[in-house]
Amino acid sequence: MTPDRPAGTPGPEAVAALMVERPLREAWRMFAANRAALLGLAVLAAIVLAALIGPPLYGVDPFDIVWAPFSPPGEGAPLGTDYIGRDILAGVLQGGRATLAVGAAAAVITLVIGLIVGALAGYYGGWVEEALMRLTEFFQVLPPLLLAMVLVTLFSPTLTTIAVAIGIVSWTSVARLTRAEFLRIKQLEYVQAARSISARDRRIIWVIVLPNAMPPLIVAAALAIGVSILFEAGLSFLGLGDPDVMSWGLMIGSNRKDFLEAWWPVTFPGIAIFLTVLSVSLIGDGLNDAMNPKLRQR
Amino acid sequence: MRALGVILPKLVYAVGMLLAVVVLNFLLLQIAPGDIADTIIGEMGGATAEIEAEIRASYGLDRPLAEQLLVYIGNIASGDLGYSYYFNRPVLEVILGRVPATLILVIAALLFAIVAGTFLGVVAARRPNGLFSHVVTVLALVGYSAPVFWTGLMLLILFASIVPVFPVSGMVSPVFDGGLAARVVEIAYHLVLPALTLGIIYLAQYSRLSRASMLDVLGADYIRTARAKGLAEGVVVYKHALRNAILPVVTIAGLQFGQLFAGAVLVETVFNWPGMGLLAYDSILRRDTPTIMGVLLFSALLVILANMATDFAYRLIDPRIRGRA
Amino acid sequence: MAMRQGALRKGRTTGAARGAAGAMAGLAAIGLLAAAGPAAAQDDVCAGNKGGTMVVTSTQVPRHLNPAVQSGVATAVPGTQIFASPLRFDKDWKPVPYLAETVDVSADGKTVTIVLRDGVTFHDGKPVTSEDVKFSIETIKANHPFQTMLAPVESIDTPDARTTVLHLSQPHPAIRLAMSPALMPIMPKHVFGDGQDAKTHPANNDPIGSGPFKLVEFVPAERIVLERNPDYFLKGLPCLDRIVINIVRDSANAVLSLERGESHMQPFTVNSRDIKRLAEDEDLAATRDGYAAVGPINWLAFNTRKSPLDNRDVRKAIAFAVDRGFITDKLQQGIAARATGPITPDSPFYTADVELYEKDLDKANAMLDAAGFPKNADGIRFPLTIDYIPGVDEQQKNIAEFLKPTLKQIGVDLNVRAAPDFPTWAKRVAGGDFDLTMDIVFNWGDPVIGVHRTYLTDNIRPQIWTNTQGYSNPKVDELLTQAGVELDEARRADLYREFQKIVVDDVPIFFINLLPYHTVYDKKIGNLPVTIWGTMSPMDEVYLAK
Repeated sequence: MTPDRPAGTPGPEAVAALMVERPLREAWRMFAANRAALLGLAVLAAIVLAALIGPPLYGVDPFDIVWAPFSPPGEGAPLGTDYIGRDILAGVLQGGRATLAVGAAAAVITLVIGLIVGALAGYYGGWVEEALMRLTEFFQVLPPLLLAMVLVTLFSPTLTTIAVAIGIVSWTSVARLTRAEFLRIKQLEYVQAARSISARDRRIIWVIVLPNAMPPLIVAAALAIGVSILFEAGLSFLGLGDPDVMSWGLMIGSNRKDFLEAWWPVTFPGIAIFLTVLSVSLIGDGLNDAMNPKLRQR
Repeated sequence: MRALGVILPKLVYAVGMLLAVVVLNFLLLQIAPGDIADTIIGEMGGATAEIEAEIRASYGLDRPLAEQLLVYIGNIASGDLGYSYYFNRPVLEVILGRVPATLILVIAALLFAIVAGTFLGVVAARRPNGLFSHVVTVLALVGYSAPVFWTGLMLLILFASIVPVFPVSGMVSPVFDGGLAARVVEIAYHLVLPALTLGIIYLAQYSRLSRASMLDVLGADYIRTARAKGLAEGVVVYKHALRNAILPVVTIAGLQFGQLFAGAVLVETVFNWPGMGLLAYDSILRRDTPTIMGVLLFSALLVILANMATDFAYRLIDPRIRGRA
Repeated sequence: MAMRQGALRKGRTTGAARGAAGAMAGLAAIGLLAAAGPAAAQDDVCAGNKGGTMVVTSTQVPRHLNPAVQSGVATAVPGTQIFASPLRFDKDWKPVPYLAETVDVSADGKTVTIVLRDGVTFHDGKPVTSEDVKFSIETIKANHPFQTMLAPVESIDTPDARTTVLHLSQPHPAIRLAMSPALMPIMPKHVFGDGQDAKTHPANNDPIGSGPFKLVEFVPAERIVLERNPDYFLKGLPCLDRIVINIVRDSANAVLSLERGESHMQPFTVNSRDIKRLAEDEDLAATRDGYAAVGPINWLAFNTRKSPLDNRDVRKAIAFAVDRGFITDKLQQGIAARATGPITPDSPFYTADVELYEKDLDKANAMLDAAGFPKNADGIRFPLTIDYIPGVDEQQKNIAEFLKPTLKQIGVDLNVRAAPDFPTWAKRVAGGDFDLTMDIVFNWGDPVIGVHRTYLTDNIRPQIWTNTQGYSNPKVDELLTQAGVELDEARRADLYREFQKIVVDDVPIFFINLLPYHTVYDKKIGNLPVTIWGTMSPMDEVYLAK
């Protein structure tokens, strides 16, 4: 309760909460009606679950040599072995952790940078906006994967570097989106009201405007996870992965030379990446349709 | 004069952006562990402390940072992107040799994505809930979700090994020896698989985009009028609606240029396509920082040029914004 | 199954060794060989198959094309087509006069006289003279990374235009091998002698030599186009009109282009599965001949200055934990052979009489216990990191990754440290910033050139492919110094035999396998380059059957 507000009127937060809550419930109903999106959610849940409980259940160290190198699926290991005889299934299960973690971490970094830049630009306008948008355009001019490669190679390939590099190269679209949403929302009455009663900027941004800008950002976050996973795979394919941590990208990258001879070490992690990105895309589509009914056709 | 008024600010802007890229390059090199002297010593296989100091001095690495930055900017402004220790040539020469291949690949992939994507999207939009529409949606998603190098490897196996109809590597056959016309055909033949691979990711976006805008436009008043006038459905769709639906396509195409460049790194690696992407890969594997930074600068330059071109194309297509600066 | 040709020829030591030792013994006799020359000039070596373009696939990128100032395969293959050298070698290690008509070594081994053939010209038409020879030898001595190769050369005289006399500070049994095409390219002084730094000379990218092929085009990291030198001093050669070296960075891509007949040859093919697959193609074959002089060893190096690796028993325990048979037979499909010591079996100085470190985990664990490194509660004794050269996965990264679970069995927690690029790895190793590293080192023909550098105490330098292990054993220093000046082949072999035993016992390096280099080739190719230097020697007699 801010003291300088006339008693009896709902605070801006309450209004905001009200505005958010209804669409969210509505959105979930629409999302749940979207079979493709639900399928995506189910697949993703299964993948995450497999990565979490799979390794202890399966009980094989993905770095251990269990059988002759390049044994086909069923011979010695359910999904075959890789170039030094390590279990592919163990790798896919364990590798899911690193890949999903990199994907999620990179997506979080993407969102955080994008949100801050976009929110400040959209809310303050003026020179702040000008400067931040130039910065955004600047990063859009640099080809993302190329910049990520440069960052990873300059700062040694570890999972952290990779996640940070991906975040640094992918935040621009989130920033633009956030700015657009902020520009729209700050014109709305309750925000104007909050400003007129001179609530603090930081409060308005994070407590009032942001929740209302969430729907498209949630969609963007879902897509960012997919993009980040593809990035990690691409970097590993180019040999810029971390060899000390099993990941799907690393499996593809290090088995790719023998792709013509042995399809399984590359195919199974490839399918895992494909399914994860696909399910994330389906979820993103579903969220998009559900949260932005106007834009459903996009 | 008016044209100048439009172009000049854009040029200033472009130069500013490039300057920023140069500064970023410089900063990255400063922050990163190790420097060019370390790389050269590594390529040499190591050196004594005296030689190390000598190399540092010869590259001006012992000077104050601000001075180094100014020298760096000055060199680049005069067209000197540095010397590639690995390729043993000036960086500019190495990069210029690679630009055409990448441009050919990226433009071909973009055209393929736009033409095929738009076509699929438009056809799908005519029956938004039909089977074809769903198939297009699914295909688009699949193309987008599969890693691009993966798609490339699959196509390589399929069309170069199992059904060997396309070449696997490079831009022209190593034994090629023919005239200009034959060269064009040769390059086009080598281009099929890489362009297809790179285009497939973006196909998705264009098919969805054109489907969406077609649906929007088909519902618009003037289309209804056209239909009411009794124009044939094909004419309505392809002449009236498509023209308007193409605007967002142009916008996206311009924005995507940078991403296409990035995708080109992977595709060029898979198909040994001698462009800037393969160059970036090679120079990263050898920590050839002058070349890496040169590639970064050049791709930024090409993206900026592409954005400017998009901007002008937009003005040409859409009369409404012609007046605006 | 052309595979048989190469892969099954594993008992190769004896034949090559005998031939070589015999050849090397006949010091003064070399002059007599001159007349025999490469039979080339007289008979029709090309078997009526003149002309044609041979496409050679390479996965390595050369910096430039001048082997005088750059070691390595990528430069040597094109470089030896462009430049000629005083001698070349046949497949039995016998020196064959090449640019030189005779090479005579005095009885005390300290004077070497090179007499050039008459009337040889560079590609630009200027004659090859003793001045060019002198200039080239001086340039190589000053700039080539193999410092021991020409170190004893004190002064050079040129009494006439065809004669060059080298005065050595000590007998140098490696001097003739040092005159091989890949090691002693004779450069035109009028081009390279203009005072510019040889290492960065612009002509290194656009070289002029006197070899069988002239450079037409060199597109960095893409291709090298070589064209027949019509004025080549061996009349009637080369057989081919053109050689195009096509650089393909991705090995799967390279395999496909060979299978489709887009390429005729890929030397230095090293991936075992690629070799197997290609050898099964009905139009292709694979041979491991042509790599005797290279003598490539894939090994695990220890930083012997660092604890606990300064303890010989710790190094020995690690050696006893590793099953090299698994590496050669399983990881590399039986294509690679086990390495047993610092000298490869193709060399006349090889001995198999060394500790073989047959895998014995109990022994390894016991040795570590005894050395005072007990296991902790997690079964770990100590952590170590391992580095590897990036880009040669099957030989380097894969084995580093294989060692991780292997050494876990003896309580060593091995952390595989990736280097994103070659210079990063090189800097770490040169600077002593490593525990273990995988490495690939070549014998380069004579032990003085390729072997001594790794073990001499006075070659502990901040430079890769020197004694970066920090290994020092006075007895080894003494043996190598003696062997370096011993002209008697049998006595020299004895010295090296003792050296090999000691080094294998001290384990500054654990020798893993010989690189399974193969030349994969189209069966239409005739006169395959299978001398000891293989494709790092002029391919003037190679032809493509019509």
